[in-house]
Amino acid sequence: MSDLLRADRLPRVAAVPALLWLIVFLVLPVALMIAGYVGVEDTIRVLRLDSTWRIVRFSTWQAVLSVVATFLLAAPVTWLIGRHDFRGRRVLRAISTLGFLLPSVVVAAGFLAVLPDSLHYSVFAIVVAHAYFNLAVVVRVVGARLELVDQRLVDAAGTLGATPLRALRTVTWPLVRSAVASAGIVVFLYCFTSFAVVRVLGGPARNTLESDLALRAFGIGDVGGATVLGILQLAVILVVLAIARSSGGRDVVPSDARTSALPRIDRRRVAGAVVVCASTVLFVVAPLASVAWRSVRIGGTTSLAAWSSVFDSGLRDSLFVSVRTAVFAGLLGVILATTVGMAVVRLGRVGRFIDVLAFVPLAVSPVTLGLGLVVTFDGGWYDWRAAWWFVAVAHTLVALPLAVRVLVPAWHAVPAGLHEAAAVLGAGELRRFLDVDVRFVRRAMVAAFGLVIAVSLGEFGAASLLSRSGAETVPVVVGRLLARTGDLVRTQAFALSTVLVVLCIGALLVVESLLGRNARARGG
Amino acid sequence: MKGKIAMFLVLGAAVASSCGGSAEPDASRDTKEPVTLRLIAHDSFTPSDGVLESFTAATGIGVEVLRSGDTGTLVTKAVLAAGNPEADVLWGVDNTLLSRTLDADVFLPYVTVHRDDLDPVALGLAPNGEVTPVDTGDVCINYDRAWFAERGIAPPLTLQALASSTYRNLLVTSSPVSSSPGLAFLLATIAEFGDGWETWWRSMRENGVLVVESWSDAYYGHFTAASTGVRPLVVSYATSPPAEVIFADPRPGEAPTAVAALTCFRQYEFAGILRGTDHEEEARALIDFLASPRFQEDLPLTQFVWPANRLAEVPREFLDYSLRPEKPLTIDPATIAARRSEWLDRFSDVMLR
Repeated sequence: MSDLLRADRLPRVAAVPALLWLIVFLVLPVALMIAGYVGVEDTIRVLRLDSTWRIVRFSTWQAVLSVVATFLLAAPVTWLIGRHDFRGRRVLRAISTLGFLLPSVVVAAGFLAVLPDSLHYSVFAIVVAHAYFNLAVVVRVVGARLELVDQRLVDAAGTLGATPLRALRTVTWPLVRSAVASAGIVVFLYCFTSFAVVRVLGGPARNTLESDLALRAFGIGDVGGATVLGILQLAVILVVLAIARSSGGRDVVPSDARTSALPRIDRRRVAGAVVVCASTVLFVVAPLASVAWRSVRIGGTTSLAAWSSVFDSGLRDSLFVSVRTAVFAGLLGVILATTVGMAVVRLGRVGRFIDVLAFVPLAVSPVTLGLGLVVTFDGGWYDWRAAWWFVAVAHTLVALPLAVRVLVPAWHAVPAGLHEAAAVLGAGELRRFLDVDVRFVRRAMVAAFGLVIAVSLGEFGAASLLSRSGAETVPVVVGRLLARTGDLVRTQAFALSTVLVVLCIGALLVVESLLGRNARARGG
Repeated sequence: MKGKIAMFLVLGAAVASSCGGSAEPDASRDTKEPVTLRLIAHDSFTPSDGVLESFTAATGIGVEVLRSGDTGTLVTKAVLAAGNPEADVLWGVDNTLLSRTLDADVFLPYVTVHRDDLDPVALGLAPNGEVTPVDTGDVCINYDRAWFAERGIAPPLTLQALASSTYRNLLVTSSPVSSSPGLAFLLATIAEFGDGWETWWRSMRENGVLVVESWSDAYYGHFTAASTGVRPLVVSYATSPPAEVIFADPRPGEAPTAVAALTCFRQYEFAGILRGTDHEEEARALIDFLASPRFQEDLPLTQFVWPANRLAEVPREFLDYSLRPEKPLTIDPATIAARRSEWLDRFSDVMLR
């Protein structure tokens, strides 16, 4: 029993499976890929190409521009959601997350339809689409932190004579700064490694390292060269992360904030809030609406033919497969993110190592990882290349950096005093975990579950790279249908996408209402 | 259409079961468990329901289909896994990628019982029987008939003609770096112009050709006959016109699009037994089935390709709207393999800057 009282036993025990998971499914495949397919000759050849460095420059500046655009577009609605309580708040938050979930192939096609011809194949189109996808990251990550800022602190600043701007700068900003940096880095990485958006909206002449390495691996068949580009991408990202870490200040965690309620919207500002709401909803919904509209248009006439075929054919199976994969990924992903979060907060140096490791999926090229998985798990009892759950395993990795960003702040917010008090009163480690920790991180776990499900439902790259037996996930089917001839087939793709959107909205609303109930339960 | 396909299937199944003698499992072999083969294919492999089941009914061998992305992804993964394959049989390597798999020794040679009925040109591409031809198709310039008729302009007949100012800003194609029809079209121009292909592409750039990412971007993003786009010429398949008819509701009397026969590059697709399989004997039976008329007759209306087996009957509606170029352009797979990346680099230099 005395062992149970040692404070860091559970985090250490819990960190082992998480570490193993990351090593087996992430580090090992990538390492084998690099060891097996990269030679000095390939490296020299690729590093000497002018195009390599042109692509590095393009990847970087378009990503920086995309981050700026994302924050500009996301700031009003994030502030509205993070600092105010109003009817429809959760619905607005769910809507603003939608873009993130959709198969990028579909959204990109939607943008081509919405944008005027002169903006097709332009950097503008790429940047706007990136902002569309990543709006959710800012709203979720920064919004969640803003919520934790204790209104009483802001009010106190006001009472002491601070202008709202000054209160923002001296009270709120220090509390959310690290979340802003986190979100900024995540958005940068997503844009830096962007694939489908750059390819469809940028035209064939604009490439990121990620899209170029996919071309090299699959179009040209130069796996060695592609892997060199993958290493280069990893290197650039690690440099960016190192800079971000060293320049980021100490993370100030909002203290016991859960007792304060968010203020209602000031009457004088209702008009502004309505404008923010409306423009955000319009921005997010317009491409979705165009997808839904196209699902009932066949060759210039309105027809429900595609819809009837969605519900009486094998297309329905793909919905089942997507949901099964997403739920499985969600469950695994939450366990993974929760234990990683605990390790990051409670285990000093090992925790920092795991923290970095959990960011790696953002930095490693999905193509490199996918090929690595194919060459690693290639025989005997571990030949999982075509197992249905293998896609879900890949999705837990893809979603991990986001899920961890949600859980780390939650673990920080568990009051150490309460933990110690429980220990003094004789609660064992497990008891303290269940009665203290879980109560505090429960909301974040539900949110992370929703996020992983969302990522899994919309994920295309890993799902299309791993082989599928039988039915496939919806985004893969949509991608396949979009690449075939025939109006009806194409319309089916849009009908299926519409169902996916509805599913995602449903999942998000469930998560939001669970969060709401939790909040009320605690409040009451 | 569903009714027709169903009838087709029933007839096919009857034929298969009446002459399935050669594929009966060997009774003398004491097999404890029925074997299930894995057939790995690209995403466009979409046989009708029940076709593969008829193979299982006749032989007792089950078939599980694995799908693995586009042809490039499929082939890259097969090369990485050579000798240690994910599946027993692979469907879908084409003549633009064939040499890559032969160099990597991906397949176990097998000469199918249907060899004498298969397309001789395709057989010649893999003379040692490493792979078996299963279907063919052509990539050609497609044009919007109404667009040209309304303006009284003659559609282009040759690649050479495309560079004339009559067709300025009219053509959209997908990039050869990222798309298989795009690559076929680049190869068509190389087959046609030899070393002069770069000059032709330069003059096409002057003439306003639009190069986009994928076939669907070109066809459904810019082609006047299939989108709100403004380009009446597109690089697509010779079987796109029948698809426009068969998938339309209601069906038009004639196809809204047509094909310029002298611009076509022929693609051949193959299937093969993956080296490292534990079920070589069963895999041979599956290869025979894939090359048999029973299976081949299912291809035109499900995958919009021509059967490689000349005994396979092609559905009437497919014949009616399809054009089969007599002298398609082509290049030997070994030459393609040797020079592909050089050609793609040079294309990128000329066109993608």
